[in-house]
Amino acid sequence: MRPMDERSFDDLKDAYVLGALSDEERAAVEAYLAVNPERQAEVDDLSGVASLLALAPPEHDPPADLRRRVMQVVESESARPRAARRSTSSWFGWLGGLRNVALGAAALLVVGLLSWNVLLQEDVRDLRGQVEEARTANEAQETREIELGGTWAEQGARAEVTALKDDRAILVVEDMPSMPEDRTGQVWVIRDENPEPSGLLEPSGNMAATAITTPLEDADAIAVTIEPAGGSEEPTSDPVLVQEL
Amino acid sequence: MGKNRQYAILADEDLMSLMEGGDAEAFAALYDRHSRAAYSLCYRMMGDRQAAEDLTQDAFLKVWRSAGGYRSERGSVRTWILSIAHNRGIDQLRSMASRRRTQDRVEQSAPRSQPSEAFAETWRNRQREQIREALDTLPPEQLKILELAYFSGYTHVEISSLLDLPLGTVKGRMRLALKKIRSYFDQENVAVPR
Repeated sequence: MRPMDERSFDDLKDAYVLGALSDEERAAVEAYLAVNPERQAEVDDLSGVASLLALAPPEHDPPADLRRRVMQVVESESARPRAARRSTSSWFGWLGGLRNVALGAAALLVVGLLSWNVLLQEDVRDLRGQVEEARTANEAQETREIELGGTWAEQGARAEVTALKDDRAILVVEDMPSMPEDRTGQVWVIRDENPEPSGLLEPSGNMAATAITTPLEDADAIAVTIEPAGGSEEPTSDPVLVQEL
Repeated sequence: MGKNRQYAILADEDLMSLMEGGDAEAFAALYDRHSRAAYSLCYRMMGDRQAAEDLTQDAFLKVWRSAGGYRSERGSVRTWILSIAHNRGIDQLRSMASRRRTQDRVEQSAPRSQPSEAFAETWRNRQREQIREALDTLPPEQLKILELAYFSGYTHVEISSLLDLPLGTVKGRMRLALKKIRSYFDQENVAVPR
């Protein structure tokens, strides 16, 4: 994807706030905003105008049964303990210090990662099955669920690590924001301030699942950063998802 | 005062804080407050009752699960909820194997206020009226493009092809339409509702 210039941004911003861009164009606008945050207020202002359209349709009352169905799900989920949400700012600052770490032998890793990914995908399928089985058998108390916060969560993504009792864990991200084609989400398990590469997110639509390849026992935190395709040896950006363990 | 009554007088932002902590009753209060607007939007986008119900359910569950993602500086809770419904609706419209968005929807008329609803009692309904009035000031060709984009989920390129218009014209009409809606509120000396 080619980086967007100011002229293209100005050309597309109205269609952007109306939701009238292709996924690729939308990602380009969002990438532009990420590096030109001074334009965000302008987009927020335009979005405010566009969002008024949501109130224009003739009104209809939703059926009462719909409320019952929605509340049934919500009440069942509220009964489960939620992982405590906490401020991620300390992690941003802490991990920010790692930004300048050189990519080192990333190129050498690519070959290994390609073959490793095949195994990883099999692991993901296997682990997903295990997670489902555990849930079906009401064995939730024997697994640990960890909800991740961070900028992706603020954008509406839902990310949860399910740690299985045999020290394996899987990360599932739903509604993840789109990423440029040459970038990938990389999982890090952080122990004594050392982030260990622990999996790559391979999105399927707006969802991704990956096995976490580093044990979580005694780890301090888990995080996801956006890295060049194929992953990095060390994080090169601030986390988009993070949770202290 | 009973808990339900307490929730009824809490501001949306306070309910969001409670919801973030897993409070289902706070969610229920928000649902009761905003489900009509959300369902109406979903119905307008999807065009039939069942699909509108499914989309509304999907959107509210997303609201429940993403309560921590709300940022008050970006707009009101209502705007946030409706934007979730809108974004999910666009995703669904675009992923339909066989799009129901046919040419006859291009000819569909602009949303109009219903006489029985005019100048309704609540402030929310007054806002709705203002928005509809603002839309009434748009030339039909601009309104049509807004509708195709916002309610039917077409991209600007698709609209250009559908209406056989140059892409620049489509973009220009989008820009002018949004500008004109803002001008309406400026002229009325009313802030754009958030």
